[in-house]
Amino acid sequence: MTKAAIHIAAATDQHAASEVPFYQPHGDEVELFEHAYNKQLPLLIKGPTGCGKTRFVMHMAARLKRPLYTVSCHDDLTATDLVGRHLVNDSGTYWNDGPLTRAVRNGGICYLDEIVEARKDTAVVLHPLTDDRRILPLERTGETLQAPVQFMLVVSYNPGYQSFLKGMKPSTRQRFVSLRFNFLDAAQEQQVVIAETGIDLVTAKQLVKLASALRALKQHDLEEVASTRLVVYAAALIKNGFAPIEACRAALVEALTDDEEVTAALMEVVYACFGE
Amino acid sequence: MPEIFVGKLWDQLVSGATASNSEDTTVLFEEIVKPASILFRALGGDQGLALKTAQSTIHQGKQNWLQQLSGIEQKVELAWCDDEALYLPASINLLPQDRLNRELYFWLAALAVEMRPGLWFIENQQATLRLLEKFPGLQARYQRLVYALLSLRPEITTLSYDSAIQEQAIYQALIKPGSISLLPSAPNPWFPIYLWFHPTPPFGGNNQLIPPKKLAEFEPSDDTQSTAKDQRRHKAERQEIQERKDGFMMFFRAESILTWAEYIKVNRPTEDDENTDAKRAADEMETITVTRDGKQTASRIRFDLDLPPEDSDETKLESGILLPEWHYKKQLYLKDYCCLQPVVATNTKTCQLPVHLAAVARRIRHQFESLTSVRTWLRKQTEGTEVDVDAYINHLVEVKSGTFKTDLQLYKTHQIQERNLSCLLLADLSQSTDAYVNNHARVIDVIRDSLFLFSEALSATADQFGLYGFSSLRRDNVRFYTIKAFAEKYNDQIRGRINAIKPGYYTRMGAAIRQAGKLLAQQTTHQRILLLLTDGKPNDLDRYEGRYGIEDTRQALREIRQQGIKPFCITIDEKAGSYLPYLFGTGGYVVIRQPSELPRQLLSLYAQLTV
Ligand SMILES: Nc1ncnc2c1ncn2[C@@H]1O[C@H](COP(=O)(O)OP(=O)(O)OP(=O)(O)O)[C@@H](O)[C@H]1O
Ligand SMILES: [Mg+2]
Repeated sequence: MTKAAIHIAAATDQHAASEVPFYQPHGDEVELFEHAYNKQLPLLIKGPTGCGKTRFVMHMAARLKRPLYTVSCHDDLTATDLVGRHLVNDSGTYWNDGPLTRAVRNGGICYLDEIVEARKDTAVVLHPLTDDRRILPLERTGETLQAPVQFMLVVSYNPGYQSFLKGMKPSTRQRFVSLRFNFLDAAQEQQVVIAETGIDLVTAKQLVKLASALRALKQHDLEEVASTRLVVYAAALIKNGFAPIEACRAALVEALTDDEEVTAALMEVVYACFGE
Repeated sequence: MPEIFVGKLWDQLVSGATASNSEDTTVLFEEIVKPASILFRALGGDQGLALKTAQSTIHQGKQNWLQQLSGIEQKVELAWCDDEALYLPASINLLPQDRLNRELYFWLAALAVEMRPGLWFIENQQATLRLLEKFPGLQARYQRLVYALLSLRPEITTLSYDSAIQEQAIYQALIKPGSISLLPSAPNPWFPIYLWFHPTPPFGGNNQLIPPKKLAEFEPSDDTQSTAKDQRRHKAERQEIQERKDGFMMFFRAESILTWAEYIKVNRPTEDDENTDAKRAADEMETITVTRDGKQTASRIRFDLDLPPEDSDETKLESGILLPEWHYKKQLYLKDYCCLQPVVATNTKTCQLPVHLAAVARRIRHQFESLTSVRTWLRKQTEGTEVDVDAYINHLVEVKSGTFKTDLQLYKTHQIQERNLSCLLLADLSQSTDAYVNNHARVIDVIRDSLFLFSEALSATADQFGLYGFSSLRRDNVRFYTIKAFAEKYNDQIRGRINAIKPGYYTRMGAAIRQAGKLLAQQTTHQRILLLLTDGKPNDLDRYEGRYGIEDTRQALREIRQQGIKPFCITIDEKAGSYLPYLFGTGGYVVIRQPSELPRQLLSLYAQLTV
């Protein structure tokens, strides 16, 4: 594992925070999560970027008072990075648990964000842990860990590129409880924007309307879609004194396209919402 | 194009009348089409509608007004929409600043989103209200445009009593939309309202030959003047109406006919005039279409064919591969609707690679050889280019605990991974490929060269590839040519078949894509790609054009994507920009401006697509 990766794993080794982070539910996902947790089933969250997946898992971990181990997967991430490895220091080598192993040992929630990015070999360690055995064999140390009831695996990915499930054995695949996230409806999204930034209702409404107009351009004109995250950024800029038009340009329009003509068109949409 | 010419003339007249040496404030449709379409879609407009330029309409108000000025009959371009497209003027220079003219374009694109069927005069006001309520940011712009455009309108004091009352109502309707429910009539027509949509599509969709049927329908029945030509035309047109009946094209509905009647009543001073005007408009329309469609033979043929009745369209198809077609208005598949005839040219002469391609082919083959493989790191090797640190640390641990193995695997090395990919190249062999791209080559020649080079390149790799072509003549005759099946070796016989390709008829794209999808689905490779090579939109004689053809093609693409096939389109249709993203998504196509670039582009694209 690279230094950076170790760092990330350590940094996100959060223990049950006393404060539950704000989360605005879309539907009954909170109950579904609790159900999966109680039944010791792994959970799969699909949804576009910035729609609240990470926030949801943080919220649930805090709510269930479990430590959360988050791993942002990338194409260099191997099974070893999840499970752990031997490291060297002055006195020799020693074993260092990866975030997955730590979550199993401590009965926490392990959240693998963007799981499809990870190397294929990660599936091998996930299989015995997600089927009814719930075990994690540590080949290197010869240990086999039995996951406690409090352990839960949550994975997320952005569908559209690849399917995560296809790479899984049916026995594993069928155990996952799946949730599909989409963007919140307007009233809910306004709530999020207000809660996150303290912006006034009128501006929040305008921003959300703008976002939904921009979302209509998905596929046809834009590859990325305006996420709640970007809306929150724009609101934060406005709250900090930026003119709405400029805030939208910086946080939304420029984030969505590089093409000048498209930028001009998106600015027209901004004007339609905010005036000139 | 005549109407543009006339439009120019008119523009000159107006600028001559207002400001003599003002700079050019003209904004062209081409300049705004992309951003305006994006705005239209963002505000909730139909994703499948294209933006096109409007043909000019004879507007009596303007005509008379200008006649006073110059004695020249004038046409004016107004905006309107139907279920195929949103039509905007080819250029706007009404207002003294180009910014305002641009804003007028954007205003129309935005207003189109809110237009519903209904009485023209009321609906334009209501749509304005709805739009301003949904997007209050547009209010300032609306006001700006209203004031700028009001200043172009005739002075009320110069009008007759009735016209003044009418003009007053229009004023009021613009300043306070929704406030006027009835347009008072006046013997003279009003000056055009540029902020609004035209009451009805003056003529049918762009490349369909539907003469102004509303005019025709309101011609008095005792009109003995109509010629055989007219009758024929009206017959064809009736079928068109039939077809549209079930659709959502509300502008054609009864209430809008009323609107039109009203419009005519108000507009046409005398019955005599009405007849001559209607005739003239129809005739003019015909000439416009004929001159316009240098390329669009389809519409001309459709016109001349005197279409068969709808029923005969339903006859059973016998041999060949039956494929469904997607009817977007009904939102369902027409089962076994198309009959695809697989064709393999058997008696073509074998041939060698044409000499003019030899040098390029050699170079390309060389480049493509490097594509054969993907390099990745292979860990824990007994030999390798670098130390595998992980393996080494593990080894140290094992040494300490006394469990080490003797076959040390402490290195890593580059692994050459075989590519596992198949690609089907589907070439459009429709009639339009017969057109010349420059002095020496037709589109078909460029496609032929592309097929040669593509094959040369791919045979240097381990990738599986197939070459197919298609053209159609109605739904029961979709010809699907096998040039090289996947299993066939690329050799002189295949080269002979490539050499023999020639332009066919029309472009029933959906059926061809479905068949290509079937063939690709039989390939067992990891990745499967469909490369579509075309020079235009889907079209065929029987209904398959405009939106219908596009929607079917889109559906076919959706089907093959679901089978895990990646479609990509290369097109040399310059005007293709607007519908391609709808079909292939951003990044799912390229438009090649210079057809001679095609072979080179095709290959570099292939390389990018498959890495
Ligand atoms: N339902 C929600 N409740 C509260 N905040 C939300 C919600 N949805 C989005 N947000 C806001 O959007 C931001 C981005 O959300 P989050 O990081 O959870 O997205 P994500 O789905 O994990 O995206 P990615 O796929 O890019 O990781 C959050 O920091 C929060 O401010
Ligand atoms: Mg996240």
